[in-house]
Amino acid sequence: MLVCLCSLTFGQTRAISGQIKDEAGVPIAYATVKIRNSSTGASADAEGKYSINAKSGDVLVFSAIGYNILEAPVGSTSSIDPSLKKMEGLIDEVIVTAQGIKRRPRELGYSVARITNDDITVGRSPQLAQSLSGKVSGLAVFNVNNSVDPAVKIVLRGYRSMTGNNDALVVIDGLPMPPGSSTMLNLLNPNDIESVSVLKGGQAATLYGSDGVNGALVITTKRGTKGKARVTYSNATNIEQVSFLPDYQDQFGSGSHYAVGFGAAGYKTDYLARMKDNWRSYENQQFGDRFDGSLRPAGRLLQDGTYYELPYSAVEGERRRIWNTGVTTNNQLSVSGGNETSTFYLSLENNLANGVVPEDKSRRTGVRLAATTEAGRLKAGFNLAYVQASYDRTTFDFYNETINQAAHIPLSKLRDWKTNKFASPDAYYNDYFTNPYFRLDNDRQNYGDANFQGNVELNYKVAEWLNLYNKLGIVNNTRIRKNTVGKYTYTPYAKTGAKVPPAYDQADGSGITRTVTDLAGSVYDATEVENIVNNEFQIQANKDFGDFSTKGLVGFSLYDRRYKLVEVSSGSIVVPDIFNVANRTGELGGGEQITQYRKYGYYGDLLVGWKDLIFIHGSARFDGTSKFYKPSRERDLYTYPYYGADVSFNVTEILPAIKSNILNYAKVRAGYSKNVADNIPIYGLDRIYPNGAGFPYGNTVGISVGDLLPAPDLRPEKVGSFEVGTEMQLLNNRINVDFTWYTQKTTDAVVTARIPNSTGFSNLLLNVGETKNWGYELDIRGQVIRSENFNWELSARYSYNDNKVIEIFPGVNEFQSSGYSYAGSYVIKDNSFPRIKAIGYVRDPATNRVIVNKSNGYPLSSGPLKDLGRALPNKIAGWGTKLNYKSISLSANFEYRGGHVIYSDLGRQMTFTGSGGWTEDRTPHIFPNSAYDDGTGKFVPNNDVNIQEAEYTLWVDYYRNITENFTVPAWFIKLRDLNLSYNFSQKFLSKVKFIGDASVALYGRNLLTIVDSQNDFVDPEFSFTTGNGLGISNTAQTPPVRQYGINLNVTFK
Amino acid sequence: MKFKHILLALTIASAALTGCKKQWLDINTNPNQLPVAVPSYVFTGAVNRTAGFIEPNELGSYWSAQWTQSNTYIISGSQFQYIFNNTNFNYWDTWYDILNDFQFVIDNADSLQQPYIKGPARVMKAMIFQQLVDVYGNIPYTQALKAIGNLSPKFDPQQAVYEDLIKVLDTAITDLRANAFVSGSQATDIVFKGVVASWIKFANSLKMRILIRQSKVAGKSAYIIAEINKAAATAEGFLTAGLDVTSNPGYVSSTGKTNPIYDRWGYAASGATQALGRYPRPTTFLFDKLKATNDTFRLKRLFYPSGGEGPTAGTGTKAEVVSNYVAVPYGASSGYLSQNTSPLGPALIVRGQFNSSVVVMTAAESFFLLAEAKQLYGGSVTLAGTAQSYYEQGVRESFRLSGTASLAATALLTSGIDLADWAASPNKLNAIWMQKWLALVNFGGFEAWAEFRRTNYPVIPKSAAAATNAKLPLRLFYPQTEESSNGVNVKEQGAIDVFSTKIFWDVD
Repeated sequence: MLVCLCSLTFGQTRAISGQIKDEAGVPIAYATVKIRNSSTGASADAEGKYSINAKSGDVLVFSAIGYNILEAPVGSTSSIDPSLKKMEGLIDEVIVTAQGIKRRPRELGYSVARITNDDITVGRSPQLAQSLSGKVSGLAVFNVNNSVDPAVKIVLRGYRSMTGNNDALVVIDGLPMPPGSSTMLNLLNPNDIESVSVLKGGQAATLYGSDGVNGALVITTKRGTKGKARVTYSNATNIEQVSFLPDYQDQFGSGSHYAVGFGAAGYKTDYLARMKDNWRSYENQQFGDRFDGSLRPAGRLLQDGTYYELPYSAVEGERRRIWNTGVTTNNQLSVSGGNETSTFYLSLENNLANGVVPEDKSRRTGVRLAATTEAGRLKAGFNLAYVQASYDRTTFDFYNETINQAAHIPLSKLRDWKTNKFASPDAYYNDYFTNPYFRLDNDRQNYGDANFQGNVELNYKVAEWLNLYNKLGIVNNTRIRKNTVGKYTYTPYAKTGAKVPPAYDQADGSGITRTVTDLAGSVYDATEVENIVNNEFQIQANKDFGDFSTKGLVGFSLYDRRYKLVEVSSGSIVVPDIFNVANRTGELGGGEQITQYRKYGYYGDLLVGWKDLIFIHGSARFDGTSKFYKPSRERDLYTYPYYGADVSFNVTEILPAIKSNILNYAKVRAGYSKNVADNIPIYGLDRIYPNGAGFPYGNTVGISVGDLLPAPDLRPEKVGSFEVGTEMQLLNNRINVDFTWYTQKTTDAVVTARIPNSTGFSNLLLNVGETKNWGYELDIRGQVIRSENFNWELSARYSYNDNKVIEIFPGVNEFQSSGYSYAGSYVIKDNSFPRIKAIGYVRDPATNRVIVNKSNGYPLSSGPLKDLGRALPNKIAGWGTKLNYKSISLSANFEYRGGHVIYSDLGRQMTFTGSGGWTEDRTPHIFPNSAYDDGTGKFVPNNDVNIQEAEYTLWVDYYRNITENFTVPAWFIKLRDLNLSYNFSQKFLSKVKFIGDASVALYGRNLLTIVDSQNDFVDPEFSFTTGNGLGISNTAQTPPVRQYGINLNVTFK
Repeated sequence: MKFKHILLALTIASAALTGCKKQWLDINTNPNQLPVAVPSYVFTGAVNRTAGFIEPNELGSYWSAQWTQSNTYIISGSQFQYIFNNTNFNYWDTWYDILNDFQFVIDNADSLQQPYIKGPARVMKAMIFQQLVDVYGNIPYTQALKAIGNLSPKFDPQQAVYEDLIKVLDTAITDLRANAFVSGSQATDIVFKGVVASWIKFANSLKMRILIRQSKVAGKSAYIIAEINKAAATAEGFLTAGLDVTSNPGYVSSTGKTNPIYDRWGYAASGATQALGRYPRPTTFLFDKLKATNDTFRLKRLFYPSGGEGPTAGTGTKAEVVSNYVAVPYGASSGYLSQNTSPLGPALIVRGQFNSSVVVMTAAESFFLLAEAKQLYGGSVTLAGTAQSYYEQGVRESFRLSGTASLAATALLTSGIDLADWAASPNKLNAIWMQKWLALVNFGGFEAWAEFRRTNYPVIPKSAAAATNAKLPLRLFYPQTEESSNGVNVKEQGAIDVFSTKIFWDVD
């Protein structure tokens, strides 16, 4: 009976009211009150008076800017008058640092940024990495490629290593992930993330050992919260469109160099006549005569005796129409709850994405379960996630194929290659590039991950001040892949009968037939398994001694990573559409790859505080790594120590006199650390002797001596880091400022140096390099308006980073680290790195005019490649705004990056095909701003020598090869995310009994992208690799996209 | 109670902290690649790679005006307009890479009980080093291939390299004599199947190549004569009739495992026609030379009629009459589509013959070298035959390699036509050079280009695609890779002008 009564009163909602004051009894205006674990909330008025509907058992959370949060349970009274304690320092949120150590900001002697779930999910990106862009100073997330399986590269404070790993370490629930892989991040459900701590420098990450040398993203997933179970459902549906395309020309149709060549008999001096001769119905290049609207055949005579006749004029909008509108739907359900001793969190997610490349799609379905429980001295918890992902994509270069199609071809109408006779590969108009839609269907890759991640955590409280902690984490990822190319047999007519229109049959009376080659079909099948086991054991002790407080731990870490790939393939299949290597002709291809990496570490960490004002912190770690281990090697070549120390002074509290209404709080910090990075590839100590190409031939064995030479005394590289910083609160705690200056020096850098081939080897792996890296970061966050109904918060971030190569190795001033022979990224002594070099114009140093050949007007090109600029941005700025008006909130985040250049191979390709807008001037003209050698070695301005053949040769043979033309400033401004959301009022929702909370949001990502006017080509963030060779892009990256959608969030009672 | 807990904690902790042993890290042996190599296997791999490195021969075929390209593709600017820089035609890196393999064999053959493989490796090494000199002049030689022992090798004077190569071949012959292939090891020799005498013949013929190349260098005659006489004095002599130097690892019909020439310009393993087969075409200059001596036999063997190989393997789609064989003016950039011109012929590519051997050096070339030696130095050289007999054997060997028609060879040699019939040729050297140039078509483009630079005969035209004032390239640039990693030593070679900085033997 009593139980029954209790539950009745528990369930009853009633009005609670009161006045919010500070410790001195002064009312706090516009403070807020919320019910914990719900979105029910209210604002106090100017007198601090509030009223809110709550029930017994609820916990009210009172907060106000500049004050500590106060929680008060709702009891039997209906009036609560809380008194909030003024915050002396920053908001005392807890920050998770290295190895899961929790710290208050005032204790930190180094720079750590915390990103909460709200900031991550504001743009509703299904990928975590993208949603971090622009939100933290010092952090650069490079969206290297957008697709249904996007690739990212995450870099903190620039590059330190010339050829080794520069990627930030990603730690998910205490488990360090393999460097440089987007896979694990792509599998995470951003909604499951509680927070991300960004440990920007080596200081912060000393405890992670060598993996932490590039800083770390420490990702903590959600745990349940005590209280009644909360069920939340969320749906986000967004569409994705190509945001910008390269500059295409729409003046000239298909054609190549068919006119009689210069100097040969019958050469036509009229360029218009030559252009007419250049036109061909079947060309992929677009150097025909000017569009005139006349009806012309495209391609060859079809078997039925007809031609594909098309108006000879550009089809408007076609370049865009060939890309799809992508649609992504994301459905989420989560349940969170617990009682006094236990919590649980369960989430389900399904994400379905259809990309802009037609027929590309991916799916991610996952479940996560986390739970904690306490039993006396023991606290235990686990967190398990299982995710299945599948990707269905084309393997071929759709983008490249489409730039090889002329502007007058209505490409999007040729999708149906099975029934449309003009779209069929047998009759497709283009002799060199077949129907891209056929290739889309025919060249596929299907791969998927089955990913299991989890950890078990145990905490045993030995004494009030002493704790034993153990965390065992595992990852098991199985990726199964099948790549296929369909078999296709051309009709005999296509092979030998299809004639070009009579006028172009080369006057030999027979007409000509094209050489088409049957596709033999292929299949490639692979299974990759990755296993990571990591165990951390820690003895934690916290004890206060009078004015001194200490927090310390010693730990032991074991890490083991195994990877195995087995692949089989065949380049020819027998029965079409059966993609199994059993269905093949010829030899079975395939291979196997196994790697294993182990590491152990002992570490310790000690924080000593004095009166909560001054903190001195030190950490040290001693590691052993299998990468440098050989039984024959000295112990100190594979084991190595790290250490770091930092201090934090809470200045305004030590010297209260300097405190004022302007300066409310100030802290200064400084830290130094010496880290070590085992920056060589696994098995990097071994010289290898690979099989010669093609071997074995039956029983004949052939081996070659590997080209990479590891130096015998290879050891890890050392990174010394120093940083100072300050945190301040200004103007009645309305403005937060955080400033950091840092410098890092890498010595003994492991360099894969390009050595002369005349040594017999092409590369040498050795410790010889030295680099420097420095910069500063400024974060400002301000409360512009705070009132009852209207709040406006602004934030801005700026980071500057530069680096410099001090030494590569004696006698070597530079080497190419990535890219093409005609344009690539280079490491150059005494310069920042990497740098983009490309073939340049030859210029008159006095006037900067382009030197042309006096006899034909074509520009000359530089023999050696020219240094055209840095490949990484040195300036990154972010700007965010958050507006709240009653139930409506609006937020936006912008990002700027600049100071660097990008080389676009797409530009070079488009010059070859003649599809680029910059190739539009095909009338004889003088090369702009040019000069020539007048024969005496003197350069004179060129006012009279026209380009010999501007209708073709200039572009294909000259302009294209001068890759400086496609190296452009890479700065950009992007509106990373925009979110307009509306929270349904409690009044409205109370009519629907089972809904506790509901909101709807319109959002967008990358809605706006501004790039340099010279950048006709590509999203400057893109790159052909996630390795160190950023700054080089090609046609394998699809055009950039913008996304917008709608999100619905409902919490059930 | 409390003490018990602490004790427990310390016990667990110490167990964990001391549990780690060195052995736990002992997993660092590469399981994916061989950590050691056997010299004989390295030799096999390196020979196969040498034979498969066809780019220098392709460029040579173009630059000696034997081949040009059809206009189905865009004709390459670097090859036919002579516009190139130090990033084009980087043969250097591959050659040194292969040389390193042979050096590995030479260095390790004794210690790993395979002394028989030293001699062949030295012969191959000499051949490749000569090719390096022939396009780059001064090259790293004495300090080359020293791995970490010398990271910036100095360049040696080209002439000194040439002279040392003769000594390398001498050592090779000594090695070969001393170490016969042991039973079971013959398969590693994919050139001569372990026949040491053939290797010595090859070595002697290579000596002839090296020596005759210097024929125009002033003051060299005595040295050349002496060295020729040394070679002539060996019991084995030179490459004999029917003994071409060819390589074949046992090509199989699988992607990447067929004869590399067949794979590049002929057919894929699946049987599909390779698109690149549309590139190489005979020049009209070549056809004119063949037709001038009524040499239609080789014309029809070296190329297919326009339209290419027909349904019957080894024969053309069109009737094999001379009018169906269409050449392309050298370097013409338009008007000659692949369909209407003659592709590489049955002497090189026959559908289904994916396992034919790759020719490294022909017996014909060796005979022409002997003919020239005899013609130049007469009785001073102790070669048994006459210039005429060597010349005629050279022609016959060329016919044999193209398709075994001794009657056609006889007809040519007795045709009474200048540059074919020895007796009817007023300038014997021109006849030797012309027939050698023809014998190198399809089988030795690199050598044809080198010999053209030495002899300036036949007088090949400039490519039609080249600018009116363009000159023929005489060498290659030091590659960008070497320049950027061994810059000081490359700079010491002075400014390189590929149109005027000549190789030492290119004296006129």
